[in-house]
Amino acid sequence: MRRTGYVTAAAVCAAIGLSACGGSSGSGDDGGGAQAAVAAGRDSSQARQCTATPRKGGTLVYARQSEAQSLDPINLRNGNGDIFANELIYSGLVRSDPTGKTDDLVGGVADRWKASKDGKTYTFHIRPGIKFTNGDPVTAEDVKFTLDRFGDPKINQVMSVVAGGYGSSKVVDPSTVQVHLTKPVASFLYNISIFPAFIVPKKLVQQQGDAFFKHPVGTGPYKVKEFVRGSHITFERNPYYWEKGKPYLDEVRFDFASDSNSRMLAVKSGQAQIADGVPFSQINALSGDQRLQLQSVKVPLFIGMWLNHQRKPLADLKVRQAMQYALDRKQINEGIFRGVGTIPNSVLPALKYDASADQVPPYSYDLAKAKQLMSESGFADGFSTTLQYPAGYDYYKQLGLLIQQQLGQIGIKVKLIEQDAAEVTDRFDKSDYDMTFPYPQFTSDVVVPDEYATFVANSPDLDGFFTHWSDPKIAQMVQEFTTTPDEAKRAQMWPDIQKAMLDASPVINVMDVPYVNVHGKSVCGTSVNALGVDHLEDTWIASSAGTE
Amino acid sequence: MLGYFLHRLALAFVVLLGLAVATFLILHLVPGDPVLQTLGNRATPESIATARHQLGLDRSLPAQFWTFVSHAVRGDLGYSLTLNAPVSDVVGGRLGPSALLILYGLVVALVIGVPLAIVAALRPNGVVDHGIRLITTFSFAMPTFWLGLMLALILGLWLKWFPVSGYDTGIGGILRTLTLPALTLGLSLATIVVRTLRSGLLEVLQTEYIEAARSRGLSERRVIVKHALRNAIMPTITVLSVNLGFLIGGTVVIEAVFQIPGVGSLLLQSVQRRDYELVQALALLAGAAVVLISLATDLLQAVVDPRVRLAGR
Repeated sequence: MRRTGYVTAAAVCAAIGLSACGGSSGSGDDGGGAQAAVAAGRDSSQARQCTATPRKGGTLVYARQSEAQSLDPINLRNGNGDIFANELIYSGLVRSDPTGKTDDLVGGVADRWKASKDGKTYTFHIRPGIKFTNGDPVTAEDVKFTLDRFGDPKINQVMSVVAGGYGSSKVVDPSTVQVHLTKPVASFLYNISIFPAFIVPKKLVQQQGDAFFKHPVGTGPYKVKEFVRGSHITFERNPYYWEKGKPYLDEVRFDFASDSNSRMLAVKSGQAQIADGVPFSQINALSGDQRLQLQSVKVPLFIGMWLNHQRKPLADLKVRQAMQYALDRKQINEGIFRGVGTIPNSVLPALKYDASADQVPPYSYDLAKAKQLMSESGFADGFSTTLQYPAGYDYYKQLGLLIQQQLGQIGIKVKLIEQDAAEVTDRFDKSDYDMTFPYPQFTSDVVVPDEYATFVANSPDLDGFFTHWSDPKIAQMVQEFTTTPDEAKRAQMWPDIQKAMLDASPVINVMDVPYVNVHGKSVCGTSVNALGVDHLEDTWIASSAGTE
Repeated sequence: MLGYFLHRLALAFVVLLGLAVATFLILHLVPGDPVLQTLGNRATPESIATARHQLGLDRSLPAQFWTFVSHAVRGDLGYSLTLNAPVSDVVGGRLGPSALLILYGLVVALVIGVPLAIVAALRPNGVVDHGIRLITTFSFAMPTFWLGLMLALILGLWLKWFPVSGYDTGIGGILRTLTLPALTLGLSLATIVVRTLRSGLLEVLQTEYIEAARSRGLSERRVIVKHALRNAIMPTITVLSVNLGFLIGGTVVIEAVFQIPGVGSLLLQSVQRRDYELVQALALLAGAAVVLISLATDLLQAVVDPRVRLAGR
């Protein structure tokens, strides 16, 4: 209970999703225990040696839980394993603020851009002097070629959903490209800031075909030196990188280490300087190590519990609201997520434009209210249902047990079904579930709510993201939101949608959770953007200790 | 002899075919879809359908099985959807580390197991024998992931003798990085060596020719190494060859714990991702390895011991 203040503060931070919550503010002081040792926000609390001027040189070894499999940004095979590697090799026209202080967009390959009033035409000016890793200049032809691939659903199979509305591109002059959309897509810039729209050289891709992506050439801060499948990928500095003086590191090596214990051992022994995917259960143990710094990274990652509205009780609004009130999220956060989670005030992950918890309050834990809602529902005597969750993850089982116990108090008998992750996803996709945690890592690809709001509230062909829920009024609101180009107007529209969806609770967001990383204290400049992607061009090693 | 060989070969073929059918059926009957796993939640129904068609997953099961078998016979193991590369390329790059790990583990098992077995057999049911039984039973009973982590913790993190994980090539690199994993694998296998060799030795040590050797005044060392061990080790080799499957299975966990880019970790990952063609190929290869080794052992014994040959008739 003594952590109430902390939790509320963090919830506010999650809700506004802003810089003010990074680093020094927001976290720690009143937290006590493990939380004090975890640097919250997207900024790490840096060790003393990191206040000096960045030092050039050295190798960083990064133990990562999912391996890189594809270096073709439009044809990813392994989620974050691929995304993080591709982010070092390539960059898009625009990119998410690399400091992570805001979730705004800043320049990448393009240094300026302009949208037309109707939101259907975008003009991009390529950054003067920007070059690929082989020294060739980036031209408007390369940009057009890339975007046309992005917009072609035959090529862009994995992420065709973010390319919706793409029409065509026109080369205006060697450094200017004009993009025409078939309809206004408010999130267009955000959609092209991520991997499927990373700029590739037209000439080389056309000449080499698939072979190009074995030895890729991009505009990112690093280039591939060695890629040993299943083992590691080594990057070296891109000498043509456009940001003066960066990257600081000579080399970065991703060691693929799926086993979380061996990842933590690698960091503890100094074999790796940074590791991702710290299991929540190890936060307390690691926070005691003086040489290591835990870093909690706010990302659109959530514990989304999906409900199938084809099941009568779950289609009952009062039942769903009762479930929301019956969940003791504080207990879940402290017991399972070691206090690093945040209590959500949205049914979706924490995203840009989200209103604060004052404006849209989260569901409180209120058993009396939950019981009352149940008695008013069509299922006053309770009912039996099932909850599917993926096996082999450190927290789903405990989470399932807690939810089973908490919902049991309002007469909902939950049978837990543990399954292989692939099976859980497959059954979800066939709507063969009552309640489920459909993806082991449930995150949004973009920082704006357009993708998820559309999936859940405005996509009949996806059956409302397999919920079979629909609400014409909310669908209309989402439709308007996603087609309004004006940022200010969108920021005004979203909180109403957020609230309407939270009231209707077609699905339940149990908790917003961060990525938790750990790194040696001599590793500096570990900023992460709003999507959780490391910006290793800003990273440097304070002493010679970290250079293996 | 030739008849026996052909008979065994035909049997091996039947075993492999059965393995192929079983792997194929299990994979396709278990829920989970490689396309969904790869394309994830963002894929549109059209792109999923396209990918399924490209992979031939929209065809009937017998048709898919026939393609798999007919291609495999020609040496074409298919295409890995999740890795976006031919299966033979993927597996080829992963065979080395696993083969070395198994070989090294075998050596460790023998280096630890043989001396312990001799010591135990010389003083059966003594304190030492009981001590050895206790320790080997313990190491056998411990799950490999736990044993591996403990070794990494003690010999890697605390004593810093070895890296806690990773894989390096070259003799020095292999000795440095594969010693802990091989120790993990070898320790559990050493138990089997100790048990079989000990009982083999006990039996042989009571035969008349050992008594004769002793009575001729040969040194105890000579009696044990030259006479007893030679005769007692044959059953141990048979048991070890039978346990090759156990070794291959053991690599799955050990490679994950020590981050070794071998076929074991590849198999685990390809099952999780439902990479049908990759799993089928790996299961077939592992099966072929087991069948080939046991075939080789049988033939070796048939050559050495005529009784085996005749019994095969």
